[in-house]
Amino acid sequence: MPCGALRPRATINHQPSTFYPLPSALLEPVPPRPVAFSHLSLNGLPVASSNARASKKQFTFLLIAIVVIGAGALGWAATRPAGGGEAIDPNMPLGTAQGFLLGSPDAPVKIVEFADFECPACAQFAMLTEPDIRERLIKTGMASIEFFVFPLPMHPNTWSASNAAYCANEQGKFWEMHDRLFYTQDLWNTQTTSNPGKKMMGYAADLGLDRDKFEECFDSKRHYPNIKASGAEAEKRGINETPSFIIGGKKYAGSIPYDEVKKLVDAELVRVGKADTTTKGAK
Amino acid sequence: MVIAAVALVGLFPAMYLWLFKLGVVGTLSCKIGGCEKVNTSPWAIFLGQPVALWGVAYYVLLFAVALAGTSERFAADRRVSIALVTLTGWGVLFSGYLTYLEAAVIHAWCQWCVVSAILVCIMFTLSVVELRAGRRADSR
Repeated sequence: MPCGALRPRATINHQPSTFYPLPSALLEPVPPRPVAFSHLSLNGLPVASSNARASKKQFTFLLIAIVVIGAGALGWAATRPAGGGEAIDPNMPLGTAQGFLLGSPDAPVKIVEFADFECPACAQFAMLTEPDIRERLIKTGMASIEFFVFPLPMHPNTWSASNAAYCANEQGKFWEMHDRLFYTQDLWNTQTTSNPGKKMMGYAADLGLDRDKFEECFDSKRHYPNIKASGAEAEKRGINETPSFIIGGKKYAGSIPYDEVKKLVDAELVRVGKADTTTKGAK
Repeated sequence: MVIAAVALVGLFPAMYLWLFKLGVVGTLSCKIGGCEKVNTSPWAIFLGQPVALWGVAYYVLLFAVALAGTSERFAADRRVSIALVTLTGWGVLFSGYLTYLEAAVIHAWCQWCVVSAILVCIMFTLSVVELRAGRRADSR
């Protein structure tokens, strides 16, 4: 007899003794009791199936809990304000959009760059590609770069960095500050600090800038309207990501490797009739 | 079941990074390393699509296979175990490649990528255990 059927106890009450009557309770059928052995059946239902059902139910609850928690976390992440950085007045007036030129103003090809100092892809371009561009295209007179800041809303600390670059420009060291900011981006970005100004003061000192003048410029924030105008200029030209480039009137989004830049510059040189410039050692 | 649950957990970091690529999430929450640096590097694109999007697709597929494996119909089907080992094995290899890129090429760590790599390793271990033990055992 398989376990789980009625116990034999139910059978001993079938023949009550005349002399020793059994209590009536023993004469009644014993009700079925739950049995813990999972591979057996009870009341026509396999116990394993009922356990499996319970397990499935728990599993479903677990999945729902994961979805709820995960979706909640994603929703929070998508709507939370960026940590650190400063609040930028949306009603700030527009100043003057200013590009910063590197190379000869008479270079046959002008590469216009729109970048955000806090954008990692921009830093990557500045560190990996731009040295070749400077060495092979700008020093050879084939091209120049005009740099516009394009502060993106997800990078609050870019305003301090842009401010530092503009203030360094007042002392003729925009490009030195540009390089320092991109090479040390991890040290002052929004993920790292809510007070990037302290870092900027240190960079100004490292670059040999007049500290008092730099500090006065930086604290006054007088270039903020110009930074805003520079961003507006980017938007006006249909730029919506950084870095972005305009070479020969065409837009290119994203970090471009040197070989690609060289091809574009060569094509533009051909277009403007200065193709012979490419033979002057640039590779 | 555990594999399906872990795959579902893994889906969310992948979605988080994908939403970042789409611009829905502004700044990545990143307590260690440089998530943004990793996710805006040239290696964050694979076969023309963001790696994060591949991650979302991978976890959805893995979840679907693991969930199917919990059904009575596939409870004893060894092909499910083989599919899970293959998928998670591929995941381990690809995660290893991405981790190498972070350590040796990009020189920055993305904590969400590390979390994903750990989850994939857990799922691979569970899949191998399940394959060796045979299916059933409550269809892990």
